[in-house]
Amino acid sequence: MKARHLSIIARKEFRGLFSERTILLAILLQLFIALFSSFLMVGLTSMYDPSSLSKYSRFRYNVAYAGNDSPVLDYLTTSRDFRVYPMNLSDGVAALKERKLSAVIWVPDTPPDAQEPVKITLYTLQNDLQSAIVDVKLKDIFLKYETGLREIRAGRLHDEPVPLAIPKAQGGGDFYEFVYGLLIPLLVFMPAIIASALVIDLLTEEYQHETLETLISTPVTFTEIVWGKVLACELMVPVQACAWILLLMINGIAIENAVLILVQVSVTSFILVLLGTLTALHYRERTAAQFIFSTALVIVMLLGLALPDNPFNLLTRLAIGTAGMEQWFVLGGTSLIILILGCATHLYADRIGKSRHSG
Amino acid sequence: MGDLKDIATIARWEVKKSFSVMGRNVLPLAIVLFVLLVLVTGFTTQSGLHLQDGMYEVGVNDPALAGLIAGDPRFSVYQISAASPDWRGNSFDLIVINGEVFYRGTEKSKSALKTLERNYGKYVNSVYNAEEDLFAAYPLWIDVQPQKSELDFLATQSGQSITAAPGRQAPVPEGPVAEIPTPSPTLAFTRDELRQELTKTSSANPQISRYTEILTTDNAMGNFKTPSQMSPPLPFDSIILIFVFIFPLYFTSQFFMMSIMNERIERKGEILLSMPVKTGSIILGKMLPYFLGMLAICTGLTVWIGAPFIILLPLVPVIFFFLANALIIGMLSRSFKELSFISIFFSTVATSYLFFPSIFANVHVISFISPLTLIVLSLQGTAWTATDYLYSTSLFWLTSAVIFFVAARNFKEERLFSEKNLVTRMREFLSEVLSRKRPFLSLFLLTGFSIPFIFMVQMMCLVLFFNLPMPYSLVLLLLFAALIEEIAKGIGIYTIYARDAAFFTWKNVVYACAATAIGFLVGEKLLLFVTLAQITESVFGSILFLSLGVLWMPLLLHFAGVLIVTACLKLGGRGWFAPGLALAMVVHCLYNLYFILGWLS
Repeated sequence: MKARHLSIIARKEFRGLFSERTILLAILLQLFIALFSSFLMVGLTSMYDPSSLSKYSRFRYNVAYAGNDSPVLDYLTTSRDFRVYPMNLSDGVAALKERKLSAVIWVPDTPPDAQEPVKITLYTLQNDLQSAIVDVKLKDIFLKYETGLREIRAGRLHDEPVPLAIPKAQGGGDFYEFVYGLLIPLLVFMPAIIASALVIDLLTEEYQHETLETLISTPVTFTEIVWGKVLACELMVPVQACAWILLLMINGIAIENAVLILVQVSVTSFILVLLGTLTALHYRERTAAQFIFSTALVIVMLLGLALPDNPFNLLTRLAIGTAGMEQWFVLGGTSLIILILGCATHLYADRIGKSRHSG
Repeated sequence: MGDLKDIATIARWEVKKSFSVMGRNVLPLAIVLFVLLVLVTGFTTQSGLHLQDGMYEVGVNDPALAGLIAGDPRFSVYQISAASPDWRGNSFDLIVINGEVFYRGTEKSKSALKTLERNYGKYVNSVYNAEEDLFAAYPLWIDVQPQKSELDFLATQSGQSITAAPGRQAPVPEGPVAEIPTPSPTLAFTRDELRQELTKTSSANPQISRYTEILTTDNAMGNFKTPSQMSPPLPFDSIILIFVFIFPLYFTSQFFMMSIMNERIERKGEILLSMPVKTGSIILGKMLPYFLGMLAICTGLTVWIGAPFIILLPLVPVIFFFLANALIIGMLSRSFKELSFISIFFSTVATSYLFFPSIFANVHVISFISPLTLIVLSLQGTAWTATDYLYSTSLFWLTSAVIFFVAARNFKEERLFSEKNLVTRMREFLSEVLSRKRPFLSLFLLTGFSIPFIFMVQMMCLVLFFNLPMPYSLVLLLLFAALIEEIAKGIGIYTIYARDAAFFTWKNVVYACAATAIGFLVGEKLLLFVTLAQITESVFGSILFLSLGVLWMPLLLHFAGVLIVTACLKLGGRGWFAPGLALAMVVHCLYNLYFILGWLS
């Protein structure tokens, strides 16, 4: 194998990618997903933690209170989120339908220490973003009332849970886990999946367009062709992953150990690229190769995720800076797998190349 | 009759061919992989997904609490002996001393706190669930009664808030007051039913439900819940189920895409084209097996999850949409790389279009732009109407039909086997649709039929810009909406210009622009009429359709926009297309701004 031949093949593939401008689509795709994920985050945060949007936190919602007196009325009157109007139930619901109120609460006359539970009926607007926010705010009030009732009925309980006093955090932290524990490993790892699909395309194309004979008639051997293509695809991974990390950082998401993340991604993706290469060499036809490979990919990824200290988990831990010594063991393990797969690819390509020359 | 027979014959060939390709080599391995997949899935459900292990570090001085917290692999727990929280020399996110939790001000620490709070809540619930006297442990139950507001459609869309109250007085309803019966204070469920439900929700697999529980608690009791179960109604489980449906559809459409592509490699499809059969029959015949396959998969999945069969109805237009796009992508791309990238791009965009609106299934009417919302509703047991169906699927039906038409017109030798680049090929495809004999009628129709695509792209922009702060989102939306409309109007003109520049005498320029502008307006109003028919029943319908009376203003705008583009093309040549578009966009924006600013002031 000559390094010069490898680089010739790799450069040929890069030229092909750039001349088709399909690489632009890949970049567009990344931007698109980044935009959408930020939409998901901000949109959902504002829904589930309304106080994160100052616009909503300053707003006082009108609610009607109907039925019998209870501590709920006091909680509502003292709350800064609501303006309460004691009303008759039918009037309240009619005003709710005209959007003059955000909710109507009806409380029965069940005594606090009754055998039966207290059943509050809550009327809210259907299909309305604001009523979702009102629900979240009302929940706090109901939880307070529930705690009160539970204390009154405490004598009837047998077991008490181990006490743990958890302070109320001041906003934030809602989507930290989503961003670092799901989004980052997913996004950083996507280039690996693209690269392995690409290597199948590059190899099967030579077979199906019958351009392989022309390539083989040059001084480049078949094995060199295969490794050149593998190299081209593998090189794309750290470049794309780096673009992701930069994009995320521009979005204000701090990522630690960026270089180590790139190392982990590149090494893990090498496994996928080699698997793709082996599949493509075996089938020499795109439909079959892609089908088998994507099914195998799902299996490998699921299996990976089921193991503790898997590479995806490491990406998360590297990004937040809690990865320890185990990352080097994982790196060693993946390198070993690469070595085995690499040998297999090399031998297989050699055999195919020889049979071609003799035949 | 003859056509049907042709279609059946070609469909049979297609099945035979794909089996001969896939059969011998692929099937055995596919079966092995499938068995492996089942085994691995089983293993994964057993051991859980270890994606977020060891994210947080906690120092605890009480061994009982340490055991409790360490039950969640997200926490690495360390035993400490300090009597007061000390943050120096460690990277703890939380410190627990004598049952009291302390946290840092960082995002990570707050996130750890929230996770701990959820875990502790679940632990407390598991203790209370075992209580003999359930109503002492859960003394409060909330019965949520959602009410439908007559005004909700446009009020929420235009960002209106609920009217502020007139001072200290209670609001008085203006309309008639319907008598609401006093709710009964007794529960509709027995104690055991409630206990069963409570145990079920708390014992779900923690490794999987962790991703869903942030957002919702699933509850078979419907609107009847304890206060801690009250969260915005997000049907997360159902949404995940949607991926179960969409993924196989995407997969199968890949085979169709590849089968089209294979016909084009080394001119293999020449035999097919030389047959005395209509091109429409060829395409339908090749597509039929895949369509039936996808339908069978969906039916199988529906039976498997035990869902009502009505969810197949919204899936059919989605299947057609996937197939139509697979067809056109298979016909357009030059190489496998291009095929892969375009199909990945398409599937991402399509999946986001389908997926993201359905998150808001119970919250906002905008969710109905995705047919999947109907599936979510069906799975929840909520009914939807024929109007809802029309509203959410019409864009899919229309775009698929238009794409099929364009593909059928271009399914011939000189298009299938040409080696030109993507943009040129797209232009040639359009050129084929635009008749030489009746160019103005073609322009009218082309622009009219581009409306569903424009709507789709604009909806996409709406969802995308939804999250930006207010003035920016509005400005960006205005710019993009204008640009998209101008591009859609300019494409037909550009195609004709590229084919035959001499066609555009000044007289023809005016005619072409008029045809385009009228086509756009007619298409837009027709689609609005069909899809937004449900508004007409509300008070806002009258306001919206008043604007139909003053049609000449938008007509003039569309005419002016397309005239600018055409004039730039005629005077400056093809290089001036993009600047012309930019100019038209500015004019369009100014017009829109004038009207919106007019409303604002």
